[in-house]
Amino acid sequence: MSSPENRELTVVIVDDHSIFRSGLRADLADDIRVLGEAATVDEAVDLVVATGPRVVLLDVHLPGGAGGGGAEVIRRAAQQAPNTRFLALSVSDAADDVVTVIRSGARGYITKSASGADVSDAARRVAEGDAVFSPRLAGFVLDAFGAVSGETAEASDELDRLSAREQEVMRLIARGYAYKEVATSLFISVKTVETHVSSVLRKLQLSSRHELTAWALERKLL
Amino acid sequence: MDTPRLIRPRVRLVGGVCAGFAEHTGLPLPVVRTVTVLLTVCGGAGALLYAWLWATTPVAENSADPLKNVLTRPTDAASADSGRVRSAPVTEILLGVALLAAAAALVASRLGVDVPLAFVIPAIVVLSGAGLAWRQFDDLRQQRSSSSSALLVRALGALVLVALGILLFFVTGEEPNVWTVFTAAIAVLFGVAIVVAPWLVRLTRDLADERAARVREADRAEIAAHLHDSVLQTLALIQQKADPSSEASRLARAQERELRDWLFAGSPASSVDLAAELRRIAAVIEQEYAAQIDVVSAGQSPPSVPDALLGAAREAMLNAARHAGGMVSVFLESSPTAVDLTVTDRGPGLVLDDIPADRMGVRESILGRMHRIGGTAELVPGPGGTGTEVRLSLPLNAGVHHVES
Repeated sequence: MSSPENRELTVVIVDDHSIFRSGLRADLADDIRVLGEAATVDEAVDLVVATGPRVVLLDVHLPGGAGGGGAEVIRRAAQQAPNTRFLALSVSDAADDVVTVIRSGARGYITKSASGADVSDAARRVAEGDAVFSPRLAGFVLDAFGAVSGETAEASDELDRLSAREQEVMRLIARGYAYKEVATSLFISVKTVETHVSSVLRKLQLSSRHELTAWALERKLL
Repeated sequence: MDTPRLIRPRVRLVGGVCAGFAEHTGLPLPVVRTVTVLLTVCGGAGALLYAWLWATTPVAENSADPLKNVLTRPTDAASADSGRVRSAPVTEILLGVALLAAAAALVASRLGVDVPLAFVIPAIVVLSGAGLAWRQFDDLRQQRSSSSSALLVRALGALVLVALGILLFFVTGEEPNVWTVFTAAIAVLFGVAIVVAPWLVRLTRDLADERAARVREADRAEIAAHLHDSVLQTLALIQQKADPSSEASRLARAQERELRDWLFAGSPASSVDLAAELRRIAAVIEQEYAAQIDVVSAGQSPPSVPDALLGAAREAMLNAARHAGGMVSVFLESSPTAVDLTVTDRGPGLVLDDIPADRMGVRESILGRMHRIGGTAELVPGPGGTGTEVRLSLPLNAGVHHVES
């Protein structure tokens, strides 16, 4: 079996708007191969299981299935396609949507107004196992984990708070810094930045702090 | 402010009639209250009018528009929920007055004055029973108490009191016959019906209001979902396709913002906080300059910030849009002790020492403003050494805020 880095980047686009799908398909970088498109939850699950892409570009709001949208696709497809990673794309600003899809297992979230190059970059990053945070998501994380009011994790394995370094990274991402710029500003390597972001993603997925989804819904933070 | 309809406000002293009337007609509230009291003293017309208005006018909508409530009555923000609580214990006072009247009647009859006790005592019992019943029904309707069954028992008790009072009228009559009993039964039925009727009327009105509100909300949600799925997607697509600094992109972004504001209007979270204000400023600037301003916020905005902070932020955003353009990021972090705001661009960069002293823009409108309100402002190179980052910081509760006029 070839290592993931050598394989070409294959993606599946899941969105219920055909205009958006074709627009995104045309805009993706040349080295990304689109294996197929799906418009509903059921189509998406079948397509992902059948083709086993490395990354699924997944709309948060989707018709069909049990009405669970993108989060339902992840839950149903993840076990049968263990090597596939999910990147959530959304026009939604609703925090609960984004948090739900992340907690279902998406490796990142970007807005649909991101350029084709940005989406391609994000897809590559997700394929390599890293996490992709938009500035808004970073801002939400800072808020949700109490970093704003000065809470800092004491142990590295603590799930409900962020370490000081993670907070610094999140603050810079919230200010619109790219990973490379974060690395330069903090005098660390890009790899270290990626490690921190992945660790924050894990906390976002596993933490039971304030029941994040309900909390996000209540405060409409994104 | 004149209200188109006579309604009783929720924040009130007794029944809210005077306040509602004053608001409706534009007369000063103390005048209305004084006239009411005078009319009451002179023959009781005021009290009757008051009771009539109290029974017939609806209570003000309960926070149909919470945002507007917050905006127009900042001092009442805390009482938004407790607004229903009356500030005067009317029932208790009336009950006391009734007891006093009964006692006075008894004493007067002992002293030999010819008081129609057979009439006065039952009347007082009926009136206090009715008052108590109305009070309980009111509580029952608003589900103010935790156990509604206890309330129901108390309301029924008050009704029994009413019935007893009415019966007393007849018991004191000389010789009971069939007709007395019959009349008494009818009178009790009518009496109880009169006491219960207003409550029933209000209950049905509440139900109708609630149903209408639900239908409206469902309609709105459906329209919002549709627009969200169709128009917002298209606007996102246009922005993605068009050059970020192009007219098409700018228009699409402005429209998206407007639509979003409309879609999520009425949700308290998008209310009068600092982040919303910054987004509004960003939208205005984006219309004029080829820039995309992304506002990200974390933390709860403090209830009030000096205008100078907003002024400085606006100036920083304007500078970034004017001189750098492209993508401008605004990050607002509000902790309980401080507000930190950064405006980051990727333009040609700006070094403070290079700015001629006669250019007042940055020095005065950003640095000077922040200093005057006890905050700090810093200009540093942006991410990776390109562009500019303006960092504004304002400690909260730190001495006096000189709000710029």
